[in-house]
Order: sequence, then C-alpha cells, then structure tokens
Amino acid sequence: MNILLSPPILVFLPMIVSLLIISPLFTSNEIVVRRFAKGFCAFHFLYTILMLGFFNPENPYVSELHFFGMDWIQSLGIKFVFKIDAISMILSALTSFVFLISIISSKFNIRKHHKFYYSMQMLLMSAILGIFTSGDMFLFFLFWELEMIPAYFLIGGNFSNVTGNEFEGNPKKSAIKFILFTFTGSMFMLLGILLLHYFNVISSGNITANFSEIFVQGIPMKIQLFIMACLLVGFGVKLPFVPLHTWLPDAHTDASTPVSMVLAGILLKTGGYGLYRFNYQLMPDAFRLIAPILAIFAVISIIYTAFVCYTQTDIKRIIAYSSISNMGLVLLGLCAFNQIGLTASVFHMVAHALVTCGLFMIAGIVYLRYKNRDINTLSGIASKMPRLFGFAVLIVLASIGVPLFAPFVGEILTIIGALNSDFSFILKACAILSLPLLILCSCYMLKFLHNSFYGIKSDISETVNDISIHEFIVLASVLAGLIIFGLYPNALLNIIMGLN
Amino acid sequence: MLNDIFNILLPHIALGGFIIILFLMGMILPIRMFKYSRPTAIIGIYVTIALLSTVQMEPQYFGFKNSVMSDTYTLLFDFIILICGFLVAILNRTLIYSIKRNAYTFYAILLAAILGAMNVVSANDFLTLFVSMELLGFSTYYLIASAKGYPSKEASFKYLITSAVSTGVFLFGVSYLYGITGSINFSAIYEKVANEEFSLMYSVSSILIVLGLISKLAIFPFANWIIDVYKGCETSVLAFLSTIPKLALFGIIARLLVFPLGSSFELTFVIALFSLITAFWANTYAIKENNVKVILGCSASANASYVLLAASLVSVYNLSTVLFYLICYVFMNIGVFAFLNIYGDKKPMHTEDFKGFFAKNHGLTFSYAISILALAGIPVTSGFIAKIYLFSGIAKSGLIFVPFLITLMLLTVAALFYYLKILVPLFEECDKNTEIPTLKALFSQKFVLVTSAAIILVIGICPEKLIELCQFIAYNI
Repeated sequence: MNILLSPPILVFLPMIVSLLIISPLFTSNEIVVRRFAKGFCAFHFLYTILMLGFFNPENPYVSELHFFGMDWIQSLGIKFVFKIDAISMILSALTSFVFLISIISSKFNIRKHHKFYYSMQMLLMSAILGIFTSGDMFLFFLFWELEMIPAYFLIGGNFSNVTGNEFEGNPKKSAIKFILFTFTGSMFMLLGILLLHYFNVISSGNITANFSEIFVQGIPMKIQLFIMACLLVGFGVKLPFVPLHTWLPDAHTDASTPVSMVLAGILLKTGGYGLYRFNYQLMPDAFRLIAPILAIFAVISIIYTAFVCYTQTDIKRIIAYSSISNMGLVLLGLCAFNQIGLTASVFHMVAHALVTCGLFMIAGIVYLRYKNRDINTLSGIASKMPRLFGFAVLIVLASIGVPLFAPFVGEILTIIGALNSDFSFILKACAILSLPLLILCSCYMLKFLHNSFYGIKSDISETVNDISIHEFIVLASVLAGLIIFGLYPNALLNIIMGLN
Repeated sequence: MLNDIFNILLPHIALGGFIIILFLMGMILPIRMFKYSRPTAIIGIYVTIALLSTVQMEPQYFGFKNSVMSDTYTLLFDFIILICGFLVAILNRTLIYSIKRNAYTFYAILLAAILGAMNVVSANDFLTLFVSMELLGFSTYYLIASAKGYPSKEASFKYLITSAVSTGVFLFGVSYLYGITGSINFSAIYEKVANEEFSLMYSVSSILIVLGLISKLAIFPFANWIIDVYKGCETSVLAFLSTIPKLALFGIIARLLVFPLGSSFELTFVIALFSLITAFWANTYAIKENNVKVILGCSASANASYVLLAASLVSVYNLSTVLFYLICYVFMNIGVFAFLNIYGDKKPMHTEDFKGFFAKNHGLTFSYAISILALAGIPVTSGFIAKIYLFSGIAKSGLIFVPFLITLMLLTVAALFYYLKILVPLFEECDKNTEIPTLKALFSQKFVLVTSAAIILVIGICPEKLIELCQFIAYNI
C-alpha cells in the first residue's frame, strides 16, 4: 500500500496533468478540458482521502527521490524528501478539496484561455501540495517559489472576461503587487534558511537540510532571533499579519471567483504552515521569546482589519479583510505555544478555508447575476434567489462563529489556548483583547447579509436564475464540511493531536 | 619548446590555423561562395574541442617560461568558451547572409575572439594576459560593428573608447605591481607577496588591475556602455558578447583573486562595494526601460555583479559557486538571444511588440520563457539552483557580508519585476485586429534555442553532477 500511496505521486500528478493540458497535443475544446480537470481533481481528492484513511500518526508517509542514484544536491545536503505528518496530511486533503470545488465553480466564471487557466490551476495545486509535504528546507523553498508564477498568472489573467465594469479593478497591477510582496518575503526567507543551514552545519557538523535533522541548540540566541525575524517576514507576507497585508485585498478582489477561493482557502495557509514548520517546530526557544510580540501583532491584525472590514462596501473586499482577521487568530493560536493553541490554529485554518470558499462563492454568484458587488446598491436578493439566500445565511452564521459550525470550535479553542499559555501574561491579555472579534465579525457580516439580501429590489421586472447545480454542489459541500466539523470536531482534532 | 606546444597549445594552434584558412578562403573564393564560411568555422571549433583532450593538466602545467599554464580550471573554461562559440557560430546565419562580402572575415574574427578568450584564461603573466585581452577586445569591436547600419558602428565605437580607458587603468596597475615585485609573472608575484608584507601600494595596484579587467563585465566605474552597446548590437553578436568575454574575464579575475592579488584585504571590500553599486544601478535602471535588448543588457550587468561579489569573497566554496553560476548563466543568455534572433533584428524590440506570441508559436515561446525564468531564478530551471548556491556561498562567508546579501536579495526582487515585464506580454491576449506573426525559425536557430532550454532544465532538475565537477575544479586550483 505504501508504494501506491506515496507523497511524490500526490505532488507530481497535478504537475504532469498541468503539462498535459498545456501541451499543443491536448484538445483545446473548452468542455473537454474542464471535465478532464474536474475529473482529475475528483480522483486526486479520493486519493488524498485514501491516504488520510490509511494514515498512521506513528508511521508518517516518508519517501525520498534519487536522481541517478544520488541525492538531489549532496554538497548542500539537500535531499528530495517528502514527509507527511498529521498536519501536512490534513492540509493536503484540504488543498485537494478546495481545488476540487474551485474547478467545479470555474464553469461559469472562466470565459477564455481555458487550457492556460486549468494548466496554471494544476501547477499551483502541485506547488502548494509540495509546500505542505516537503521534508527539506530547500525543497520547501523550491515549491514556495514555484507557486508564485501560476499564482501571478491566475490573479492577473482576467479570465472572467468582464470589461467596462467598475468592479473590474486592475488585475495586472494587483498581480504585480502580490508577486513583489511575496518575492521580497521569500528572499528574506531564503536568507533565514541559508543561515539556519549554515549554522546547523557549524554546530552539529552534519550537512543536512532535513527538517527532522536540524537542531538549533548550538546556535547563539541572537542569531536564532535574527533567523526567526527573516523567516517571519517571509511567512508574515503570506499569512498575512498587519503591516504586511496590503497585497491581499487587491489580489483577492481582482482575481476571478475560483482563484479567490484558492487564494484565500489555501495560499494563506501556506504561511501558517511555514510558521509552524520552521519557527514553531525548529526553533522553539526563540519562538517562546518572540511569541508575546507576535501575539500583539496578531491582536492588531484581528481588531484593526475587523474595523477596516466594517467600512468596506465591496463584498469581496469584506471577505478579504475578514480573512486577514481570521489568520490573525491562527497566528494567536500558534503563539500560545501549547497543545491546545496549536491544535486550534490548525483546526481554524481548515474551518476558515471552508468558510471563505463558501463566502467567495456567494460573492461570485451575486456578481455573475447582477454585475455588482457593492452592498449599498444591492438589495432584495433574497426574494429573487431564495436558495442562495438559505446558503448565505448559514455560511455567514458559520463565519460569525455561531456554535454548531466549525469556526466556532476554532475560535474558542484558540482563545482557550492563549489563556492557558503559561509563559507570558501578555498572551492572556491578547486572548481577552481578541474576544471583540466575535462581535465585530457579526457586525460586518450581518451588515453584508442585511444590505444585500434583505429589502426590496427596485427593479422588479428583472429576473435572475437561482443557483445552478454546480453552484449548489460547491455550496452544499462547503456547508456539509462546516456542519460536520462543527458537530464532531474530534474527527479533525484526533488526527492533529495523534502526532503531537 | 616543442614539448610545450604539444602539451598546451595544440588547440590554440588549431584554432589559429582555421583563422588563417578562413582569411585565405576570403581572399581566394568568389563572393557567392560565402556560405562555406560557416561550416568551416564550425568545423574549426569542433576540431579545437576534440584537441582539448591533448592538453596536459595534471596537476598544473606551465609552458613557455611560465607565461601560459593549464590545469583542470583552464580546461573547463576552454571547453565552455568553445561550446558557447559553437552555438554562436551556428546562430550567425542570418547575419552573414546580410553581409555576404565580409562573411569570411567575420568568422575569422569570431574565431580570433574565441582564441583570445581561451588565452586570457590560461595566461600566467600580465603580458600574455594583456595581449590576449587586446586580441579579444579588438575582435569584439569588429564583431559588434559588423552588422549593417549606423547603430552598430556607434555601439562598437563606444565599446572601444571604454575599453581603451580601462586598458590604460589596467596597465597602470600592472606597472605599479611590477615596481613593487619586480616581476610580471603570476607565480613569481605570488611567491613575493606570500612571503613579504606589502602596504597600500600593493592594494592600490591590485585594485587598479581588477578595475581594468571588470570594464568588459560592465561593473560600476565602466558600466553604462552596456546600454548603448546592447541597443545597437546584432542579436547573434550579443549572444557572443554576453557570454564569451564574460567567461574569459571571470576566469582570470577569479584566479587572480586567489593567487597574486589575494593578499589585499581592501580589494575585497572595494570590489564588493562596486558590485553592489552596479547591481543597484542595473536593476533600478531596467525597471523603467521598455526595450528588451536594454533590459537584457542591464540584466547582464546585474548578473555579472552578483558573480563578482561572490568571487571577491575568496574561498574554495565561493569559487565553485562562481563556476556553477557562470555555466548556468551562459546557456540562459544564448537561449534568450537565439529567440530574439529568430524574431528578427530589423523589427522594434519593445516589450509590447511580443504580445500574444505564445498563441501562435508554442514551442519557441516556451523555450524563451524558460530562459527568462531561469534568469529570474524561478524553480525547475538552472537559475534557481545557481541563485541558491551562489547566495549560500555568500552567507557562509561570515556575518559581515549578511547586509550585502540582503541588499542583493532585495535587488533580485526588482530584477524579477523587469523579467516579468519581458515574460508577461508573451502570454497576453492581443486585440482582434492585430495580427500575431508566426515566427519562421531556421533549423539552426531552433537547435540553439531548444538545446539551451534543455540544458537549463536538465541542470535545474539534476544539478548534482555539475556541482560536483565545479567543486572538484575549485578544490584543485
């Protein structure tokens, strides 16, 4: 079974499919390309589910690739090694799921360049799975860099073919902004990785870049803190927390709906995962020192963006800012530096991915029908599209953090974790300060729901179709995930805690 | 004497023989037979590559009263220079069809430039170095000016002036060094320098020597020729200009820094500072540029500055990273210029002129995109490995150089911006009424483009063999 269920297949299969789709030999028929991509994503999702089913926390999936009988770069100790532990496994399954629903929702949103679009989606999927599963620092960095090019084309591509609309924005500019922020961050990250590698070689004499073989005990604390700061810039751009967040609202607003789902659902989680894998796991002592400061940043992100969110009128911008707010919560969970906090932050990543996919889907559906995303001018959608309204109410309630939905568990566990952290009173203060999130979140989300869905649309004669079967499937699967993990969070929590 | 010839100089002599053959053919054969110049030159380069196996290199061989040397290091550089020369000679087809009358001279001088470059690397005293540099330099002026039209002449003249000034600086430094040590031989100078303490004068002379050498790499004091020269130069000649002089000059600078000039600590900081200034200038200048050739010129200058920074922090590890970076870099450049050569020299070369090319020319544009991505250092290409390897060398050199490294890394972000400016229009959608041209590529041009793209991908996916080779050579210097 271990040969069939191996991480390289998980990671490289989408890349092969991407090359297949873009090759001139493959048909350029829109329907065939889309169905092929959809079918592949469904297969991939089943594959990850199978991997999850056979997953054993004591015996994580590890596999190493050799090139002509050699390691990848022996002189730097870089190996092409993949390792899937519990958190990697969960995030990989989440990646596969989000890409599946993103591809399903592409049917109405993507109007041109189908081959290029689906090829880039598959490449992005491969890169993100690579980030989540790589067991080597440089391999992690390789996939981190690789992910930028497809992300750039997906954000800047303007695949939805809407022109002459005030909501069109400037995708190219947003894409450039995204890539410049990310690349700057990744350069700092590379510096951190190089220094970590170098000092690890000095202190342990072992030329390696493998996560499990790096020990920082011999490295002076000042250098550890410097490395930590470099890595934080890299992951902080992706996560993002407040001073580094300005690329996010633009990128998420200007991308087309399926791309926004992927960006908010998965791309931000790579930042959180990196923080866990490098800062939290490799350098625990330095992380304990820096955690109170990070927690303050987290609280600033949570509260500040929640207020910003309240003043926004574009639906997509509201969702984008609420993402930053929620990722602040993930950061706070990591800063708590205990079992509950870590578990909660991983759980909240999953919950937030589901919620944000659902919300972006709703925004996309509304935008497709009305060519409008301004909550001040939209009204009365509920009377036109009752089924969408039903889903919208439930998903908005979930995002607010109402019990019985998954985000509730994530938020509560995070705050409990931060209150229980035993090494700094600042964290407890931060936990208490972040509680208003629950109120502020309900303010802006209910404002969005109220303004756009209630009321009477002045233009009565206009008829719009209610949600189609594709959109129904996406929303229903997201909602099912939210309710399942809300009612039975142990399904996830057990897997996360099994290892730690 | 005869021993020396058969041990070291056989490839050089063969190349010289082919130069004479080409000149003779140009005098005897009628103009309509100009086509035969290219196969002759290619055969010449091929024979030279084959004769490299006769070179004596274990561990080091000095010939002609210590004035030339050979070891694995020079052999590697000779080999790479000849491979580049081979690809460039293949690429020159459209150029010689436009200058028919001068085709023989053109190839003779191309071979002369290659000979000069090979001699620069294997020089073991300053006189040999100077003569070979002039051979390389004068051939380059001719090659740049060979294309028809006014801009190429202007470019050639600007290059000539800058090189003349820098040669003066170089000779000034050499005269100081001769005054201090009483010798122009590298080995003799190194023996003197290693035993005695030298003061400011030694540092000044070594700085002047290196300043004279780096002008051909477009480093700070002599940097801005590169814009005009790249703008006016023909693309297949640019493929030559951006690779072979660079290889030769880095070959000699890296060795000079290890041996005769290595004892000067001021030199490291001066070079590092100059390369940082160059990196800053080139990367920021290219941001606002729209001409692809100028952007590539700035990128050439910037890449040279990264390599020079690594080379200035003298260590065996850094030397291996420099070798690796250079080998990766030349193939990226040849790939890029091969595509521009296919596109055609007469047409305007602004970034917007390449709009929508991917839709009509899949394979060619894809190979071009791979070369550009490699220059930007994106994974799966050799550029990514080269960048990481180079930066790891600088990071290992000590915490003093971490600020240098941070600056360099931030500048690569600007570099990414202008590479994207070249890359993105290729994949964009054109207006309905503009016709996207279908490029007509000759087999030779396609061969060069696809070969270099394939080499880039192969090195990017399994780099270990090449890194081992570079380390072996760096350890044996």
